[in-house]
Amino acid sequence: MTYYVMIFFAGLAGSFHCLGMCGGFACALGSDPRGRTATVARHLLYNMGRVTTYAFLGGLAGSAAGALVAYGTPGMFTTAQQALALVAGLLMVTMALQLFGFLRRWQHPWAGIGAHKVGFGGDTLVVSLRSLLAVPHHSAPLAFGVLNGFLPCPLVYAFVAQAAALCISDPSRGVLTGILTMLAFGLGTFPAMLLMGGVGGLIKPVWRRRGVYVAGAFILVLGLITLSRGFLPFSGHLHPL
Amino acid sequence: MSSAVCSHCLLPVRAHAHEREVNGEAYQFCCYGCALAFQVHHGQHEEADAAWLLIRLGAGAFLAMNIMLFSLVLYSGSLGPADGQLAWRIHVLLWALATPILVILGGPFFKGAWQAARNGQATADTLVSLGAIAAYGYSVLEVVTGGAAVYFDTATMVLVLFTLGRYLEAIGRGRAARSLAPMLAAERACATVIVNGRDSERPVREISPGTTVRVRPGERVPVDGVVIEGRSQCDEAVLTGQSDPVIKFPDSVVYAGSINSTGQLLIRTTVAGPATRWGKMSRLVREALSHKGLLGELVDQVAAVFVPAVVILAAGTILYWSSQGSFEQALMAGLAVLVVACPCALGLAASLATALGLGLAAEQGVLIRSGGVLERLARVKAVAFDKTGTLTSGQVRMTGALTDGVPETELLRRAAGVEQGSEHPLARGIVAAAHAGGLAPETVPNVHALPGQGVVGGDGDRLTAVGNARLMATLGWTIPPALAARARERSAEGHETIAYVGWSGRVWGLLRLSDTPLPEAKAVVKRTRELGLKTLLLSGDAPTVVKSVAVALGFDAWQGGMSPEEKLAALEARSEEEGLIAMVGDGLNDGPVLAAAGVGVAVGGAADLARESADITLPEGALQRLPWLIQHARKVHKAIRMNIVWALGYNLVALFLAAAGLLQPVIAAGLMAGSSLVVVINSLHVGKEQYPGPVTKPGPATAMCKD
Repeated sequence: MTYYVMIFFAGLAGSFHCLGMCGGFACALGSDPRGRTATVARHLLYNMGRVTTYAFLGGLAGSAAGALVAYGTPGMFTTAQQALALVAGLLMVTMALQLFGFLRRWQHPWAGIGAHKVGFGGDTLVVSLRSLLAVPHHSAPLAFGVLNGFLPCPLVYAFVAQAAALCISDPSRGVLTGILTMLAFGLGTFPAMLLMGGVGGLIKPVWRRRGVYVAGAFILVLGLITLSRGFLPFSGHLHPL
Repeated sequence: MSSAVCSHCLLPVRAHAHEREVNGEAYQFCCYGCALAFQVHHGQHEEADAAWLLIRLGAGAFLAMNIMLFSLVLYSGSLGPADGQLAWRIHVLLWALATPILVILGGPFFKGAWQAARNGQATADTLVSLGAIAAYGYSVLEVVTGGAAVYFDTATMVLVLFTLGRYLEAIGRGRAARSLAPMLAAERACATVIVNGRDSERPVREISPGTTVRVRPGERVPVDGVVIEGRSQCDEAVLTGQSDPVIKFPDSVVYAGSINSTGQLLIRTTVAGPATRWGKMSRLVREALSHKGLLGELVDQVAAVFVPAVVILAAGTILYWSSQGSFEQALMAGLAVLVVACPCALGLAASLATALGLGLAAEQGVLIRSGGVLERLARVKAVAFDKTGTLTSGQVRMTGALTDGVPETELLRRAAGVEQGSEHPLARGIVAAAHAGGLAPETVPNVHALPGQGVVGGDGDRLTAVGNARLMATLGWTIPPALAARARERSAEGHETIAYVGWSGRVWGLLRLSDTPLPEAKAVVKRTRELGLKTLLLSGDAPTVVKSVAVALGFDAWQGGMSPEEKLAALEARSEEEGLIAMVGDGLNDGPVLAAAGVGVAVGGAADLARESADITLPEGALQRLPWLIQHARKVHKAIRMNIVWALGYNLVALFLAAAGLLQPVIAAGLMAGSSLVVVINSLHVGKEQYPGPVTKPGPATAMCKD
């Protein structure tokens, strides 16, 4: 349980990163003219769609891990876990550095929605998302959230890798672990995104900046821990983190 | 030939089109994916209708992912020792989640399958529908009877993946269609018409000659006409393939389809809206797209047999595996067979690459009659060229005359009289020389041309003829020995063409005409040979002239003094030896030869494409695009073959795995979506190959009328 709480906070911290990216989407989704309740419902639906996608990705990672456990050798598990930890750790450290304002050049590929060419998949998704924004229908935010969840995001990938590594070490619970990890992560991103969309620009820029630094520090530490697990020999019985 | 083309991807629409109304206009689509993508891109965004389809996909995916999550948890046994009651409740929940998906995402597939079934056909929609309904129906039965084998995840994921696959595929096709858009814009273009001093928008198809039309800077000229006010520059690239701006001022002729760059123009139309050259080209391109290529036809035939065969194979798989083990396993194997065999990629294999190929050529002003022509051009083994007007400038100069007993002026006046109605470059050279000499050509009745020989006019005793020695021999007119000797001398030196002029039963003199090879002719011949093709020069000119030109330009073989019939015979004989031969001519005089050649290529004058003689029309002065075009055709052909091999191979391997029970239906659906994507991406590469020379830009979007 503590583990999932940890992931929840990681998501919470990570969502300061999201504010720069998905925050734009949340804002674009805007407020509902039908009133505050409708606005909150709109953003809840959007976030629900997003989190469902994350959980789904976690489930996929869990199934893949399950397949590896079923057909692989113990030696392969260790290698896979280390590789996954390396990937996750590197992604997190990169992200943290970005939050501190480094690596500007590694701008998020779809940061300027529609302004950049993202390549086949991303571009298509962005175009599709843009067309969804204008629709007043209730399920539009839901669909929007679902598709948003599939947009390439290093933070999401980091936690998917994390989830896969975890599933390997705990094959008895397998898929469920993967789903819960991503669910916890997704719920962690919930508050910031809700705040961003629903209450809009209530957070002052100064506070946003401070929040970003705190978040960066948190993710950096988490990333370094994860990274170290990639280098240190793995013990199957050692509980992660 | 009806030009039924998908409004989104411009591929041919089969018997049962998907018809939809977008923004109040009726459109037809080749598939559900195209309808979806079109509405997303073209539907006005305020209109919920457009994005509604995408919402369906998103909402469907939301439900399907939830189903998948619960199913994964159930399968993995993470819930601990199976609690029968809990499992049953989850099954009911899954049922509740799956039913809306079947309606939302399954609907279009079911509709497509139903339409096909009423025509006694089975399509990809049939396979998807069968798979989804079988998985859903069986699961419902299990829930009701309290069984444990539910496959709602399979039923829904298959639908989500196929919808997604079609959507992505349609977006790829839409990208292909974008390059064709300027060529096709003519039909829906809109013009600003000035009536009683006020501007009003009117569809081009309703515009009659004599209308005043305003063209603002940056707009595409929608009509053919004459400038009555204003100065500007126009880019006529869509018509000529050359994007050098042409200066326009009052009394200049402007053409529909060109782009007005700097200033505002008022134009008085000279022809009706649909009758412009741009309009004609537009219709031709549309028609080309609606024809299937040879490989396309083959694919259709394969697909027609494929689908029923797959249904039988799926049934066989279920029968076999249920005799071997559990029915559930057998059902899954059967479903995997149905889903994985979906010939979507195969259907795309030829058509997408062909459309892109035609589009890219059209961007360079090269009009191609159909995808089949492109395929034939790729297989050509030799290229035969006509000389005059094709390899030479066609700007014939008269370099001298010899007479026998009459003044030179009379010779020229009579010759010009017979020739003045003709469009042949030699004729134009003679008429130009007469005008330059201040001579008024005599009007001659009953003029008719004898292809490959010359022109005869007048009647009875007043017959006048201009042409080669053969024509004079046919008429039985003698050539004075002195003239014949001088002619032989002259033509031994090459380069010059001799035209004899005769009347009253004898030849009175000859005209020496010179036509210089185009500066790019030599490079074109060289590049063609570098492509591994034989080059032939076939001409009606005197053999000595033809020989000297052929040697100078580096031809492999040549033949002169040929009538069109002889050219035809030579082409036939050669093509038996060498294989498919392309004939390049100016389209005016070589019509029948071009029509009979393996591939007929006319240089200059898109109007000739309408005369049904040429398969391909290069814009005037764009002979140098020929080698590029052949290379381009080969690339398209290669892409198509790769696509077919890939799609068939992939399908067959996956089919085998599925029938062997080694493939889950959901993974099979994922594989199929992947297969289509590979074909789309491979085909899109065709569109990246640009013409190496100055490239015409797509230009501004054409204003469309909102009816």
